[in-house]
Amino acid sequence: MQTYINRALAGKSLSGSKRTFTSRTNHLSKYMVYLGLAGLLISGSACDVLEHEPQAEVSEDMAISNLKGAQAALAGMYDQLQSGEYYGRNFQIMSDVSSDQAQSIGSWDFYREMDTYLLDKGNIENGNLWTRAYRAVNIANNILDQVPKLTEVTEDQKNSILGQAYFVRALAYFDLTRMYGGVPGVVGTLGVPIVTTPSRKVDASIFPSRATLQASYDHVESDLLKSLELLPEAHASDVLTRSQAVKSTSRALLSRFYLYVNKPERVIEFANQVIANPRYMLVSNFPNIYASKFTSESVFELNFNNADPSGIRTWYFPSTLGGRGDIAAHTGFYEKATADPKDIRGTMFGYNPGPKVYYPTKYQKAGNIDNIHIIRIAEVYLNRAEARAKTGDIPGALSDLNMVRSRAGATPITNLSGSQAVLEAIWNERNLELAFEGHSFFDLVRTGQALKSLVAVSRTNGPPVTLQDRNRQVFPIPTFDIDANPNLVQNEAYK
Amino acid sequence: MLFCCALALHAAAQNRTITGKVISQEDGSGLIGVSVILKGTTTGVSSGPNGAFQLNAPPQGGTLVFRYIGFQTLELEIGNKTVIEATLAPDQKQLKEIVITGYGEQDRKTLTSAQTSVSSKDIENIPTASSEQLLQGRAAGVQVNANSGTPGGGIFVRVRGTSSINGSSDPLYVVDGIPIQSNDISGIGVGGGTTSPIADINPADIESMEILKDASATAIYGARAANGVVLITTKRGGNRKAKISFGSYVGLQNAPITPNDLVVDGPTYERLMNEARANNGQQPKFANPDGALNTNWSDPIFRTGIVQNYDLSVSGGNEKVHYMVSANHFDQEGILKTSNFLRNNGRVNLDFYPVDKLKVGTSVLFSRNTRQRLRNDDNISGVVPGAFAIPTNLPFYQPDGSYTKFSIFENPLAAVNETDISMETSRFLGSIYGEYEILQGLRLRSSFSLDYSGVQEDLYDNTLLNNGAGRNGFGQSVVTKDDNWIQENVLSYQFGQQDHAFNVLVGTTLQESIFDRTIATGEQFPSNEFRKIISAAVQRASSESTSWGIASLFSRVNYDYKNKYIATVNVRRDASSRFGRDNRWGTFPSVALGWVLTEEAFFKDAAPFVSNFKIRGSYGITGNQSGITNFQSLGLWQGAAYADLPGISPVQLANPNLKWETTAQTNLGIDMGFLQGKLNVTADYYIKKTSDLLLAVPLPRTTGFNTIVQNYGALENKGFELAIDAQVLNKGDFSWNTNFNIARNVNKITKLAAPFNVYNRDIFRYQEGFPLYSFYFHEQIGVNKETGNIMFADVNGDGVFDPNVDRKIVGDANPDFFGGFTNTAKYKAFDLMFFFQYSYGNDQLNWNRFFGEHGGTRDFNFMNSQLDRWQNPGDDTMVPRMTAANYAGNLRPSRFLEDGSYLRLKNISLGYTLPSEAISKIGLSSARIYVSGQNVLTFTNYTGADPELTGTASNRLTQGIEFYSLPQPKVFMGGFNISF
Repeated sequence: MQTYINRALAGKSLSGSKRTFTSRTNHLSKYMVYLGLAGLLISGSACDVLEHEPQAEVSEDMAISNLKGAQAALAGMYDQLQSGEYYGRNFQIMSDVSSDQAQSIGSWDFYREMDTYLLDKGNIENGNLWTRAYRAVNIANNILDQVPKLTEVTEDQKNSILGQAYFVRALAYFDLTRMYGGVPGVVGTLGVPIVTTPSRKVDASIFPSRATLQASYDHVESDLLKSLELLPEAHASDVLTRSQAVKSTSRALLSRFYLYVNKPERVIEFANQVIANPRYMLVSNFPNIYASKFTSESVFELNFNNADPSGIRTWYFPSTLGGRGDIAAHTGFYEKATADPKDIRGTMFGYNPGPKVYYPTKYQKAGNIDNIHIIRIAEVYLNRAEARAKTGDIPGALSDLNMVRSRAGATPITNLSGSQAVLEAIWNERNLELAFEGHSFFDLVRTGQALKSLVAVSRTNGPPVTLQDRNRQVFPIPTFDIDANPNLVQNEAYK
Repeated sequence: MLFCCALALHAAAQNRTITGKVISQEDGSGLIGVSVILKGTTTGVSSGPNGAFQLNAPPQGGTLVFRYIGFQTLELEIGNKTVIEATLAPDQKQLKEIVITGYGEQDRKTLTSAQTSVSSKDIENIPTASSEQLLQGRAAGVQVNANSGTPGGGIFVRVRGTSSINGSSDPLYVVDGIPIQSNDISGIGVGGGTTSPIADINPADIESMEILKDASATAIYGARAANGVVLITTKRGGNRKAKISFGSYVGLQNAPITPNDLVVDGPTYERLMNEARANNGQQPKFANPDGALNTNWSDPIFRTGIVQNYDLSVSGGNEKVHYMVSANHFDQEGILKTSNFLRNNGRVNLDFYPVDKLKVGTSVLFSRNTRQRLRNDDNISGVVPGAFAIPTNLPFYQPDGSYTKFSIFENPLAAVNETDISMETSRFLGSIYGEYEILQGLRLRSSFSLDYSGVQEDLYDNTLLNNGAGRNGFGQSVVTKDDNWIQENVLSYQFGQQDHAFNVLVGTTLQESIFDRTIATGEQFPSNEFRKIISAAVQRASSESTSWGIASLFSRVNYDYKNKYIATVNVRRDASSRFGRDNRWGTFPSVALGWVLTEEAFFKDAAPFVSNFKIRGSYGITGNQSGITNFQSLGLWQGAAYADLPGISPVQLANPNLKWETTAQTNLGIDMGFLQGKLNVTADYYIKKTSDLLLAVPLPRTTGFNTIVQNYGALENKGFELAIDAQVLNKGDFSWNTNFNIARNVNKITKLAAPFNVYNRDIFRYQEGFPLYSFYFHEQIGVNKETGNIMFADVNGDGVFDPNVDRKIVGDANPDFFGGFTNTAKYKAFDLMFFFQYSYGNDQLNWNRFFGEHGGTRDFNFMNSQLDRWQNPGDDTMVPRMTAANYAGNLRPSRFLEDGSYLRLKNISLGYTLPSEAISKIGLSSARIYVSGQNVLTFTNYTGADPELTGTASNRLTQGIEFYSLPQPKVFMGGFNISF
């Protein structure tokens, strides 16, 4: 249309000049011809002017159309886990400032809200976590929807890709359910919305309501079991095997999962399988887990590098070391962790003389290239220890517990009797061993200790705080989703 | 018409050939382009070079009618002459004022649209990098705020309110007919601040700025017109002798207020911290507050900046060539050490008349700017933030000589001394055109223009800065290329018969814009002496590219009957690559009617003191495509790597229906002149209703997406504008002119999918029934006099204050009224000008107070306002007792929202024009010297640094929030202008 009009214009001036001007004006008409021609040449590109293709993105139809695309989507899915809004920092800090391990001392008062149990439903970091976990779910859903249709992809390749998508979806729903739903028998009756189809357009299906807490946990279980069925035992390299899901990753997460739904036999069953795998062994020198990458300790370790750094070190390290020093260890926790001078885990702290606080040095690498441990073999031992204690196998439980303690140089515990005392020792060990790795708050809630132990927790820059409201053992559904989705019900403490 | 002319040529043998010349009565120069018509026929020509014309007339009798804009129409009987000289008198009676309009120009007398002109004399010799800032207070209904006092920084400009939420509400800038790139294209974030690309243009080159406000004026710019249009016309040569002008000024600029004036001293800091801890039942933190250090963090970072400007231009011409060539050097030192804006630019405007009826020419700007930037505003690594937040009881340096570091804030000295962020912009803005008069009054104009910006930005954070410390030095280099081309063809036809005058145009335009950016970063440098990324051990690079295009058709018909009844109809059709597949073309029509009562006999008799009275009304529809990013209508995935593995993830959902925002605007206005034009009043009332508002409609994030951009919402702006221009006195040696303008704009969101909150801590809320930039807080109703505890309104009335739900909109950043007031007085050779600019009823958020009035819950320094805290029963204050509960992290007390009304003596100048007898001896034709001051006085109740600031300007959903920003400097300067 545009071209047509331009030609018509140019044509008009041409014919006009022919009819109007005498010989003197003839050479003038040449100018007009040139002008008109210039106009034509340029207007020839009229259609091109409106045809622009994105250079930095691909259309959704092309995204997962072959093996390469499927693998890229897979990497994109792990990239969501890596985000600072999820396992890049936020998940760990949210858990650990909410417990007795870490405190917020800086300007970022969104963590201070969690630290002081005054969490607001509009809290940015809480919202970020929710958002990022569902992004991971959406990519997993896209993979699960598209990859089965791909031709020219072998069955093994398909199974590996699909297995990983099930695993990551399970992990995301597990985290979402723990955070926003609760723990059966402890707190909460509602789980989270379970979305299992890729989001492609806006229609009624995008306004899900919350599944029951039980249904949410059931979904995590079924996804994990499916992933276990599909995943290979190993990927092409040791790095890939530890940084992407394989069968043992599913088994290890299942061993944690069954603690939440109180099925200790299943915990033991899956923990046994992981521990029996010679690929996974406790590293003798504890600090080495963090100083190097992909040790035998790691079952699932998110990989970061210079091009793709993690942010968690920045939050703990003081500004003199290039951090922002916003989060520090609770001094009480520091004292507990360093009480036993032989315990090497007590050396994993630094001191920030400005605000007079200690900070963990598990995340320590210049350039913020620390890897993130989502599952370590030490946790699997402690999962099994707890399950064994629950099933009455006290010697077995203590043996697992002391595997972890001995490695750290701490004195083995042998003189305990009664499963409750053993359980408490194991929980205490989890608190020390897995400190600042995002376990502490969820472990306290799961084991029913939160309301008892989060009392008068002293803070550096404010009065002591107490978790009083039992309903604050879960986080609020973020305001934006309560606003955008009328089918969502807010958690009791945040209504 | 063509046919008639052919006939006329054919009939030449029997007819007389009349030759002649049209000259101006003013200076006797030949007038080019005068329409010469044989009365009662369609035979006519237009005068050529030197005013010469030639036409064929019947053997006997006949009358020639000479019409020319700005001159009285002349009728001459031919009689039996064959050579006729016509002398046209300027049209004093009508006081013709030619104003530039979209794709044309028009006599203000017959203008039916709402349009404000700002001429070069209003804005000359003001030390401002960016011309759009010069509109502040000058044009009724145009709201201008300087977001910060940073040289070359971004400016907030709104014509008749904000008409978009998601998109840009900045007006379209058109320079010499070219719609230019006016977005901030800086690729290195230094905080909430932005840069202004309008700073590429030399204000001294500007002949006039026209602000097109209503739909009749803007509709010809279609899908980009809804925010108003600013037409910038640069100076051109003319048929006159060469004039060489040189002007220069040099000034000193200072901060009117520094952070040190607003924060407590070291001993007070320690006492307040101890008081807070005592109130919380904790041990004191500081043993001996009386012995505390007191450091003035502002002192070593602020300076008196020098601003200097040099302009040289040559303009003139003859019948064949008109030229204007200019050069400019502008150098503005910021009030913070090392910050700087430097501009070197040149302009060439040429018009040739190579042969009869043909005009070709060019307008070329080449500009090279260098900014030396600092981090500031909403940036914890900035200079000003540290000066506010770092306690005054800490020393500049540690005993080992290193910079004192505090929390996440950068030491201000380090931020000034060690930061190296430069931005170098090369801009080419040029066009060539050819215009041919096909027939009397029928012209075809084609032009091709290029607007090219190349930006090179370099950043280096050495190891002494927090940003560089953790990575052994950090370097970044960003190269941005923004390339636009525009091709336009306009066919215009001006014709008329007796009382009917028509002006018709049709045109086409194509525009394409391509944006490329390459970013390289490096860390782990061998030492601080190595600053280029090539030396970095860890290097990364990325590149991006995006583009859009627009194709358009437009047309306008102007009709006036006896200069009494006037009608204007515009229509534009735009197709944009940004629009969704199902909505490619948009149509934007407008219509305007005007009635000049003073042309009616009955009115002249009834009100002889009224020299001009015009009523006009317009209605039209314009669009705004800026809210759509280039590929927003498509469902897309983008790169998302997992360490070494390339990855992709979804970024947006598809929306094939996506289209422009539609603004329907009704305007009613009157133009009145009294006492032979000594008093002129223009008043306008408008209603702008914007629908199909592009909104990032929140999606449940369970979809994996935050939002989808849809044409969903609606908002409206209603307002009035009044401008009064008066010649108060003009007696003998003394003259005094004054002008005043005031505008009110009421903004309201009328439709929204769901309310949403914006910015950290949700301090802005967008909600139906409320204006944009509404502040969302816990309404603090006071402090309990007995307990000192903070008291908030129980918004939902359930008897208890719950921070989760008892939050409401407590104000907004939009002014109730704003405008300006200028007085210009002349006595003999002296001239005095003072210009006030004001804003009334705008709420300004003093966000510095939120962080600095923390009651001991943070380690930061306290703002002075903390001293008003409750201490003893009976104390009546808004600042509560210093306990953790009163300053809890989840509270957003409304007391930080202050009245931002202000009246500012923006500009005052005193000049002296040297007597021409004296200067002619040294070959000068004119010379003036002057002294002037900028931002001299500000009257306000606002307690922060400057009520005009927005520290978060890079987020266009925010406005009116001072957040560690630099106030506008006070400038005193002197200068001169001479010409030969």
